[in-house]
Amino acid sequence: MTVASVITTPRLRLRRPEPSDLPAYTAYYMGPRSHFVRGPYTKAQCFEKFATVLGHWQIRRFGRYTITLEDRPIGHVGPLMIEGDKAPELTWTLWDGAEEGNGYATEAAAAVRDHLLGEAGWTLLEILVQPDNAASLAVARKLGAVLTDQDAPDWYPGCLTFHLTTEPMQ
Amino acid sequence: MTVTSFSIPTLETERLILRALCEDDIAFEKAFLASDDARFVGGPMPPHRAWRSMAMMIGHWALRGFGFWALEEKKTGQYMGRVGLWYPDGWLEREIGWTLMPHAWGKGFATEAALASRAHAYDVLGWDTAISQIAPENEGSKAVARRLGASFEKHHEDPEYGTIEIWRHLGPDALVNGGMEAYA
Repeated sequence: MTVASVITTPRLRLRRPEPSDLPAYTAYYMGPRSHFVRGPYTKAQCFEKFATVLGHWQIRRFGRYTITLEDRPIGHVGPLMIEGDKAPELTWTLWDGAEEGNGYATEAAAAVRDHLLGEAGWTLLEILVQPDNAASLAVARKLGAVLTDQDAPDWYPGCLTFHLTTEPMQ
Repeated sequence: MTVTSFSIPTLETERLILRALCEDDIAFEKAFLASDDARFVGGPMPPHRAWRSMAMMIGHWALRGFGFWALEEKKTGQYMGRVGLWYPDGWLEREIGWTLMPHAWGKGFATEAALASRAHAYDVLGWDTAISQIAPENEGSKAVARRLGASFEKHHEDPEYGTIEIWRHLGPDALVNGGMEAYA
C-alpha cells in the first residue's frame, strides 16, 4: 500500500522533507537538544544526515516527514527502515525547544501511526527512546506504545524499545 | 505547492548506462563495503552504514543538483559500481569520484564513466575545475586518474581518512573539444 507523502492534522501539515528544511534541521542537530540522539553533530554531519533522510524516501517510497506549522518546518516525524529485515522505527523530534509543550509531537506521531497502521496496512512499528528522555517517553505512552524487553541495537546503546501494533490496547 | 521530488539524469556511454541508484544496487554495495576490497573507500563497514551511505548519495542529488550515478552494464544489465560528482558540506572542493565493484575492475569502466560525468560537470553544470581524492595506496584509482589526464597536486590530511592524495583534473579549457562531444 502506498504511503502518503502529505498528512494533515488539525494544526499541522506533515510533508516530504525538502532542501529548504536543511537550516532548521541543522540548527537542531548542532544544538544541545540533540544529545538524546547521539548529538551534537557537526554541520557537515548534519548535511550527510539530512541527505540520508531525503535518499530514504527515494529508495523506500516512505520516510520521515517534515512537521510544518503554518508552513514553518518545526520538526520531523515518521518511519525509518535502514535495514530491510527489521521492523520500521517510528521517530519524532521537535527541532526547537520553544515548540515543546503544545502537543505537536504527539499530534504528528499519532497521525503517522494512524496512517501507517491503518490505510497503509503496516502491522508493527518500533519506537526507540532513551530512558531519560521524559518528553519522548510521554509521547510514546500517549500513542499507546507497549514497552518490550528487546535489547538496544548496537548503534543506539541504552535505549528502550516500544512496539506499536494494530492490536487493541489494554 | 511543495516540490519534493528531484530528477537524476540518465547518461549513456559506449558500454554503460549511468542512472539513479536504486535498492537492488545497494545489495551489491553492502557486500562490497563490508569487505576488505573497500579499504580505500572508507570500508570495511557494517551493512547499516553502507545503506545510509548510499541513501546519502541519493539525497546529495536533491541538495546539490548532482551526485553519484549507478553504472549499469548495457550488455548484462549488471550493477558495476558508481561514478559521480560530489560536494557535500565541508568538502574540500567539487570532486569527481568512482568506486567499482570488484567484478567490474580492470575493464576500463571507471575511466569510461568518469569521462561522461566530467563532461556533465563541465558542459551541463559549468564547473571550471574538479579534484579527485585518492588513498595513496590505491594504485588502481590513480591509474584511472592518469588516464583521465588528471595529475597529482598535493597531499591532504583528512581527519577521518588520514593522508589523501589530491588529483587535479584537466579543466574544460584544456580539453580539446570539451566534454561529451570529445568523448562520444
